[in-house]
This record gives sequence, structure tokens and C-alpha cells, in this order.
Amino acid sequence: MSADMKTRAPRGGMLVDGLAQVGDCGLFLLNMLGAIPRSLRHLREISRQIWFVGAMSLVIIMISGLFVGMVLALQLYYTLSIFGGTAALGTVVALSLYRELGPVITALLFAGRAGTAMTAEIGLMRATDQLAAMEMMAVDPIAFVATPRFLAGVIAMPLLANVFSLLGLLGAHLVGVTWLGVDNGTFWSNMTSNVDVWKDIVNGTWKALAFGVVVSLIAVFQGYTAPPTSEGVAYATTRTVVFASIVVLALDFVMTAFLM
Amino acid sequence: MPIEAVADALVEVRDLTTLLSGKAVFDGLSLDIPRGKVTAVMGPSGTGKTTLLKHITGQMRPDRGTLRVDGQNVPTLGREALYALRERIGYLFQNSALLTDYDVFENVAFPLRQHARLPEVLLRNIVLTKLQAVGLRGAARLMPSELSGGMARRVALARAIVFDPMLILYDEPFVGLDPIALNQVLKLIRTLNRTLGITSILVAHEFAAVRQVADLVHLIANGRCVASGTPEQLARGESDWTRQFFGGEADGPVPFQYPAGDYATALGFTGAAA
Amino acid sequence: MNPRRSFAAGTGLFILLGFAALAYLATQTSSVANFSSGPTYDVVAQFDNVGSLKDRAPVKVAGVRVGSVKSIQLDNQSMEAKVTLAIDTRYNDIPDDSFAKIMTSGLLGDQFVALSPGGSPDVLKNGSRIINTQSAMQLEDLIGKFLVGGSSPAKASSAGAAGGKSGG
Ligand SMILES: Nc1ncnc2c1ncn2[C@@H]1O[C@H](COP(=O)(O)OP(=O)(O)OP(=O)(O)O)[C@@H](O)[C@H]1O
Ligand SMILES: [Mg+2]
Repeated sequence: MSADMKTRAPRGGMLVDGLAQVGDCGLFLLNMLGAIPRSLRHLREISRQIWFVGAMSLVIIMISGLFVGMVLALQLYYTLSIFGGTAALGTVVALSLYRELGPVITALLFAGRAGTAMTAEIGLMRATDQLAAMEMMAVDPIAFVATPRFLAGVIAMPLLANVFSLLGLLGAHLVGVTWLGVDNGTFWSNMTSNVDVWKDIVNGTWKALAFGVVVSLIAVFQGYTAPPTSEGVAYATTRTVVFASIVVLALDFVMTAFLM
Repeated sequence: MPIEAVADALVEVRDLTTLLSGKAVFDGLSLDIPRGKVTAVMGPSGTGKTTLLKHITGQMRPDRGTLRVDGQNVPTLGREALYALRERIGYLFQNSALLTDYDVFENVAFPLRQHARLPEVLLRNIVLTKLQAVGLRGAARLMPSELSGGMARRVALARAIVFDPMLILYDEPFVGLDPIALNQVLKLIRTLNRTLGITSILVAHEFAAVRQVADLVHLIANGRCVASGTPEQLARGESDWTRQFFGGEADGPVPFQYPAGDYATALGFTGAAA
Repeated sequence: MNPRRSFAAGTGLFILLGFAALAYLATQTSSVANFSSGPTYDVVAQFDNVGSLKDRAPVKVAGVRVGSVKSIQLDNQSMEAKVTLAIDTRYNDIPDDSFAKIMTSGLLGDQFVALSPGGSPDVLKNGSRIINTQSAMQLEDLIGKFLVGGSSPAKASSAGAAGGKSGG
């Protein structure tokens, strides 16, 4: 079961190779989903992974959110002041964060911070026979290693994206209201009358959830199928960042076009 | 070499044939592991001793042949049955394979936590007993990265025996142990076997150590079992195989060289010049 | 010293923080924040044209929020928009001859209903009707009227409920 996953026979052209990877990845996802009932027995492991994947990413997410919000306020204030519409600063910042920047930037940072860690960790576990040892102890590595990390990523991403947006709003308020002098009441009331919970906040959260699924899937898959060598793990880690970023941005376009 | 069938075999290997990357690692291997005994499997490096253990635990499947463990034909087992079987087998990996996320205590506790719902006090006692047996009770809270190779091996040993399995597979348990630890491990293997009746398969190169614990030795080479018997019988060196292997000679029926082309040609000499 | 505990606690805290962020964004920065939670009473006002007024838009007196738009329906008899306003019971002293006007906050902002208090001794109660209303300003109408050179924009749009649909 794991043997056919870890060694991919070299195939024809790059396109065929790529398609085969996508297919393997899809099968792997099915495997992980199938293992969910069994991994629910390892709740403690899932919670540990949420800690590593989510809580340990908080600092980078919060700092980035703050700065993105601050620069957003600066740029949008400039643009809006051309039209005399600085009253809409709160609205524009909030909508950009909730609908777009929160989920996307969080996903990219998440791929770099948590995704690479997952890939490298699982790859090294394979290389040092830890996965084989688990199989020998009658513990399914998919249920114990892969699925908990995947679930942790899926759970953590939307939460992180919301924290990012919140800090971004704070940063924008700091710059827009405290520094640039937009009226505090206007900032909030304009925002509250234009931001819709379902259309903007909930849909943004869905987006973040979808990104959590693809980033975690790619990270875990790359780790699980990495050749058990230092070089293999290094390449797999790089691929996680590259593939995850591309897929997140492409999926973002698709979801925005069809869902929002 | 004829195999006299053992009356009560826990592991029964018949006509095992396995190809790895086109090379036949096993070529009709047949052997028996008697129940309640310590059986050593010896053979030159790269003959497939580790591979044999992986077959026994179902991590690898042979191309042909049967392999029964306690009556069940391992290659045909489904996931559930295989996992149920593995819960009754302890395995000491050649490279320890400790879980680097957990400290020593949790590594040893891992199989218990996964398969048995034990009260924390009882679990603690079991784990500490096993750690005491390998002389590492004081290291319970160290992380695997803080252990020496020999210590890691002893922790892995404690983990393999924590469940008091019916069968333990030791893949080179003596490598990297100082004489004191080696003696302790030898004593442990013997105790586990004599007092609990745990069947043991021991893969090792140290004949001196094997002699002290093994009831039976299988020598495998070239994908077959070339000699079997008590350590004393083999040490007498009645066949070419045993004479060469235990005498440590490079030339003989057991090839020291991995199969390769002509040496002189590979070095760039023409036949005449060499 | 139990490392498993601290992981679980940290994880719990993290999840709590994430949901707190979501809850804050959802309730404090979106239109949900405009829901008045206290008891309200309903007042009806009819307009020729509500423009882009939406449900839950604020109702303000002197710029202070006193309630929100509860529903917007078409009145089948008069063919006018019937707007139900939910007003906080705290504000129970609004004269019943007050003037309701649909206005826009800023140039880009949303529309809201502004009440200009009249001088009547009677006050608006649940089920009351506001007689004096002024529709949303339609930029297109203004421009059209201006081009045709007819009546002044202020006069054209000041038709109350009575002047309603006579032109069309
Ligand atoms: N995954 C694999 N793919 C191809 N060949 C393999 C694979 N694993 C092992 N082999 C080959 O199988 C043979 C047996 O390997 P194995 O690890 O079982 O040897 P061993 O007897 O345990 O040796 P040692 O005493 O050095 O541990 C070797 O020749 C090795 O090259
Ligand atoms: Mg080996």
C-alpha cells in the first residue's frame, strides 16, 4: 500500500509525468479521507499537529497581517483621496482583506512556514524508517502521520486567515485613523454598512478552507512520496512551496470568478 | 541442503522467491523457525536477512512461495489481519527507527498507547520496567537525538518487547553495543525466551554472541538456506559454506563480491596486460 | 510537568483565538453590527422611489442612528414603495409629523433614511404612518431635468406622498 506510493516509476514525457503526479495525489487524498475515521482515534495527535501547524504560525501571520493592513491603508487612502472618497477607506480595506488578501497571503505564508515543515518532517520519517516502524507496530502511518497533519492544516488555515484579516484591519485603522486622520466613526460605520457577513466574511473563510486543503494535501503528499534521501527531501520541500503557491493563486481566481 | 521439517514451527517458509530490481534475492528459500526457541539467521551482508524479516512481517511480498506465521499465510493477508498479526510481533529495526517527535519514554509507550487502553500508572510501570531491563530507565525523558547509537538501539529493543509479543525479530541487535550492554542484551534475549517463551529470530553477524543464545542457526547465502543446525554443529564447519563463512575467507562458495563484471576490465586493463 | 497537557491547552487557545477573530470580524465589522438588539417599534413610510435603499439600512435622526429599515415592499394600490422602519423603543419621542427622506452618506456611500422631526405634540407609535416623505435623489433624473431646463431640481423632487405618481 505504501510501497507503490513511495516509488514512482519514471514515465514518458513531462506532461504525462505531471498528470500521473496529479493522479497519485488524488489517490493519496482519497486514502487520507478514508483514514479519517481511524485517525479520529488519534485526537491527541491531531491536536498536537494543530499546535505545530497553526499556533506556531501565529506570529508570522500576525506580523504580516499588521504590515499588510498598514500598507493597504496608505495606498488606498492615496487612491481614494483622488476621488474624495476617503470615507470608504474602512470598507475598501476590509473587503480587500476578507475577500482576497487574508486567505491568499495567509495560504502563501502557511505553505512556506507550515507546509515545508510538514514535507520535511514526513520525508525524514520515511528516510529514517519511522514510517516502517509504525507499520510494524500495527499503526497505519496514513492514519497516524498523514491524515492528522492534513486535518490540522485544514482546520488551522481559516482560523489563521481570520487572525490575519483582523490584524490587517487593526493596522489599517492605525494608519488610516490615527495617522492619516480619517474620522473614526466614518471608518467603522462605512465599513459596517457595506461588509456583508455571508458574501464577504463567510465566503472568504470558505476560500481559506479550500486553500488549507490544497496546501496541506500538497505538503503531506510531497513528504510522503519524497525519495528517502537528503536530496529527495530537499527537492520535495521546494516543490511544496512552488506547487502550493501556484495552485493557491490559480484556485483563487477560479473561486473568485465562480463563487463570489 | 535438506530441511528436516520441525514439528512445531511458528514460522514456516517454503520456496520463497523474490526479485528486487531484477535480482533474485531469494531463490526458493525454505526454512522453519521453531516455536519457543531462539533462532539465529546468519549470512553474508546483502543476502537478504533484513528482507526476510520484512517478508515475515508482511512489509514486503514475495513473488512466489508461502510464508506461514502461526498458521497464517502472510503474503495473502488483508490489512486488518496483517495489522492484527503485527500486534503480536516485536521488531527491532536495524537502524533503531525511533520516533524523533517523542522522548524515550513515549517511544517505548507508543505501542501500548496505540493498542491498549491502560491506566496511566500501569502504563508507566510497564514502560519503566522495560527501560530498566535495557538499563535506560534514567534516560526516559531524553529525546532520540540526545542518544548515542547504542542507547537508541536499546530503546528500540525496549519498544519491541513492550507488548510481550509471541515473536520478536531482532535485526542486528548487537551492533554498536559496548561489552557490558551487549551482555545485558544477550541476557535479556535469553530471559525473554526462557521465562516468557517468546520465540525469537535473531539476525546477527557476531557468532560469539549468537552462540550464547541461539538454539538453532540458519545460514543463508545466494537466496537459499545453505546450512542449519545448532551453533556447535555449524562451528565444526562440516560444509564448505560454514567453513568459509565462519572462517571469514573471501573465496569459497559464498561470493564476497557483489555480482560484477571482470575486475581487470573495469579498471581499464586489457586482458593481456593484467 | 506534562507535555501532552500543554499541547492540548495551547491548541485549544489557538482555536479559541481563531474563532474569536472570526466572531469579531463577523459581528463588529459587518452589517451585523447594525442590528439593533433591543426592542423596536415599527413605523411605515411610503416613497415614490427608494433608489438603492436596502434592508437593514440605518434610520437616523440628526445623524444619530435610531433604527433600521426592516422591509421594503411594493404597495399594490398606490404602486409606491412601502418601507417599514424598525425604531428603537428608546427613541419614543419622535413627532408623528416628522419628515422621512432617503439620503446618501457621502458620494460613494450607501443610502439611509433620515428623519427630520416635526412639531406635532403626538409621537410615532407602533404601526404609525409617516406622511411626509421624500424619495431618493436619482442622479439621472436630476441630469435629465437640468438638460430639459424645466423646474428646478429641488422642486421636482420635493413631491411628497400626495404628488406621487401623477407624472407617470
Ligand atoms: N528496495 C530494494 N530495491 C532493490 N533491491 C533491494 C531493496 N532492498 C534490498 N535490496 C537488495 O536486496 C539484497 C538484500 O538486502 P538486505 O537488506 O536484506 O540484506 P541483509 O542481509 O540484511 O544485509 P546486511 O547484513 O548488510 O544488513 C541486497 O542485495 C540489496 O541490494
Ligand atoms: Mg540487514
